[in-house]
Amino acid sequence: MNRRVVVTGLGAVSSLGIGADALTAAIRAGQVGTGPITGFDTTGFPYVRAGEVRDFDPAALLRRVTPQRWGRSSLLAAAAAVLAVRDAGLDRADQARLDRLRAGSVMGTTSGESQVVDRLAAEWVGGGLKSLDPDLVAQVPASQIAVAVNTELGLAGDALTLSTACAASNYALGYGADLVRTGEADLMVCGGADSVNRYNHAGFYRLGALTEEVCRPFDAERQGILTAEGGVALVLEPYDRALARGARVYAEFLGYGLSCDAKHMVHPDAASIAGCVRSAHRNAGITPADVDYICAHGTGTPTNDVTEVAAVREVFGDRVPPISSIKSMLGHTMGAASGFGALVCCRAIHDGFLPPTANLRAVDPALGPDLDCVPGTARPADVRIAENHGFAFGGNNAITILGKVA
Amino acid sequence: MTTTAVRPLAVTAEGVVTPAGIGLGTLVDALAGRAAACADPQQLPGQEVLPEPVRLVEDLRLAEHVGRKGTRYLDRTTALGLVSSRLALRGDPSGDPAGDPAGDLAGTGVVVGTSAGSLRSIGEFARDTLVRDEPYLVDAATFPNTVMNCCAGQIAIWNGLRGVNATVAGGQLSSFHAVRYGRNAINAGQVGRVLLGGVEELCPQTAWGWRATRLLDPQLPIGEGCALFLVEDAQAAAAAGRPAVAELLACEVESPGPVDARPPMAHRLARTVTRALERSGVRPGEVSLVAPGATGLAGLDAAEQRAIRRTVGADTAQLRVKDVVGECFSANGALQLAAVLAHWRTHAPSGAVALLTALGPDGSAGCLVVRSTTGSAS
Repeated sequence: MNRRVVVTGLGAVSSLGIGADALTAAIRAGQVGTGPITGFDTTGFPYVRAGEVRDFDPAALLRRVTPQRWGRSSLLAAAAAVLAVRDAGLDRADQARLDRLRAGSVMGTTSGESQVVDRLAAEWVGGGLKSLDPDLVAQVPASQIAVAVNTELGLAGDALTLSTACAASNYALGYGADLVRTGEADLMVCGGADSVNRYNHAGFYRLGALTEEVCRPFDAERQGILTAEGGVALVLEPYDRALARGARVYAEFLGYGLSCDAKHMVHPDAASIAGCVRSAHRNAGITPADVDYICAHGTGTPTNDVTEVAAVREVFGDRVPPISSIKSMLGHTMGAASGFGALVCCRAIHDGFLPPTANLRAVDPALGPDLDCVPGTARPADVRIAENHGFAFGGNNAITILGKVA
Repeated sequence: MTTTAVRPLAVTAEGVVTPAGIGLGTLVDALAGRAAACADPQQLPGQEVLPEPVRLVEDLRLAEHVGRKGTRYLDRTTALGLVSSRLALRGDPSGDPAGDPAGDLAGTGVVVGTSAGSLRSIGEFARDTLVRDEPYLVDAATFPNTVMNCCAGQIAIWNGLRGVNATVAGGQLSSFHAVRYGRNAINAGQVGRVLLGGVEELCPQTAWGWRATRLLDPQLPIGEGCALFLVEDAQAAAAAGRPAVAELLACEVESPGPVDARPPMAHRLARTVTRALERSGVRPGEVSLVAPGATGLAGLDAAEQRAIRRTVGADTAQLRVKDVVGECFSANGALQLAAVLAHWRTHAPSGAVALLTALGPDGSAGCLVVRSTTGSAS
């Protein structure tokens, strides 16, 4: 079986708003969602900013998945999934017609329930390992994130959390799309979730990867990332089923590419990324000339941006399409990052705009001439095919291709 | 319900590290009662007290397998994975069937089941932000160890494996999800062959965590281990003349949420078994060996046995690998598969079929059907 796969629902819980509409409006306006950290005590940290979801009330969206039994990443994922299914117009009657065993979720994450780990570490310091709270321990497995989605939505098929660090959502989308394409499933909810937390903030600071104030991808004075959090979900289903139920189709999932540098845990490799772009194009059946927009990994570290642009130039030559980074606004949502990228690509295709790079003052000359990073705010444009980048610790590259249904 | 036949995966090599020792041969001996698994908590590096009983890998000497250079900051989860990967790709020094080191390493992917990465590495790093003079005075060199895909990434780096590199977290079903993910990656043309399995390290954080939750029978040991299998499409392996030790047939999962919801756990598991046998083209009566995974898990053990009775009958022989290796969470499924291969080294007619099952406290149920090909493919 080889079915066409489309995206019919989008859900987001982010520092720029709850719901895909709120997020899209903020992205188009170039709003910045990062700010002072409130989720943990920042005393002693030189840098104290991140992209937090401040107005997230799990009880407003979730009925089965509660804060008493689930960690923050699971709550963010389940809430995004509820919003995505609602956005897809899959009401309860539709769900009843769906074979629950043929519906599931694949969610990406970098650090899973990292806030839970922070709390357990505090218990360890306070009372020793024998004092660990069993209810918290039960929340630790990363698998809980996808199980939370299935539990809340009443899905009974696959529940898989892909822990492929910051490329994880693209991994999740590729796998979920294959399950639908091959007939293993009729509906997959795919995306990712991560939480802002103390140990990751410390680690990224110590790596020298953090910036102090704002994230400035592609800027000559960019310093690094801001850690961020959020949950994002996309509903994938067969094109024929979407048509039959009269669903709104945001975009077709055209294909994806995956590769591993196999060289270094934290330094990206331009040639390997270029190979991943080419394999994504092959898989999607497109050529570089077909791509209208690249949603960059664009972390805003000096190394990532120069490596990523070099890889893009290797593939696209003199015709580099507009390329922007939504991390300038959301910060780096880690395992959810490429899921947010995919969501924004779907809206760019459906609504007709190029997402911007915020905080961009002067494009780094080291990135080469004529680079259109869509500075400031969104531009209206006909985006037929968008390419969504996600790169990760471990030299992992994952690229998804989304396109207008032709 | 999907009932179409699956494309079998050929297992052409394996790398197994367990409390029985290094290599599959040691597990053969331990399962046969000829050797004992290591149960001495003093053999685990570190000063912390562990809640007994435990099972652990004795003499895990990473440098003997990969050389000393560059191993200083690697944690135990990664070490277990790296040693297993070397055994699978380069053969076992004890004389196990060797993988083909000249094979297409760059075209090989990695799919590793995990619970949440190395909980020792993550826990100690988080603790450092609380106990050091300043919260940011953590050790940057160990930060990559806190990321869940560290083991899979290092396996790729040390072996030059440039294909798909996935880390899959599916709780007790993690290793089964590795099989499903790996099969899809091969069928979808993303990669030619995959090193897939699961890894779990024993550490005080995990061990005390298990005991706190009381999910595991207190008499049963908490263990560790890693099993990785080099797999490719069975037809492709046969066409290329590469011998297989076994074929992985259907692997089915269900995750409808909590245990206390309907349907009951036994029903969930039985349903996956029925579907998996059908998709494997195997009749229930052909299953000659069952390797259960929920052994010792509160409430789930009995449900698993009910499902087994209902689907393949009460008289089918069972192989309990946890008696040797302990509770290994996300590596359980991979270690069940290792045990089946170990069992077949001494007992198997070619064509024998085994059923591996798993149930999790998160309400998930799944199974894997495996066929012995030893003697028939070479």
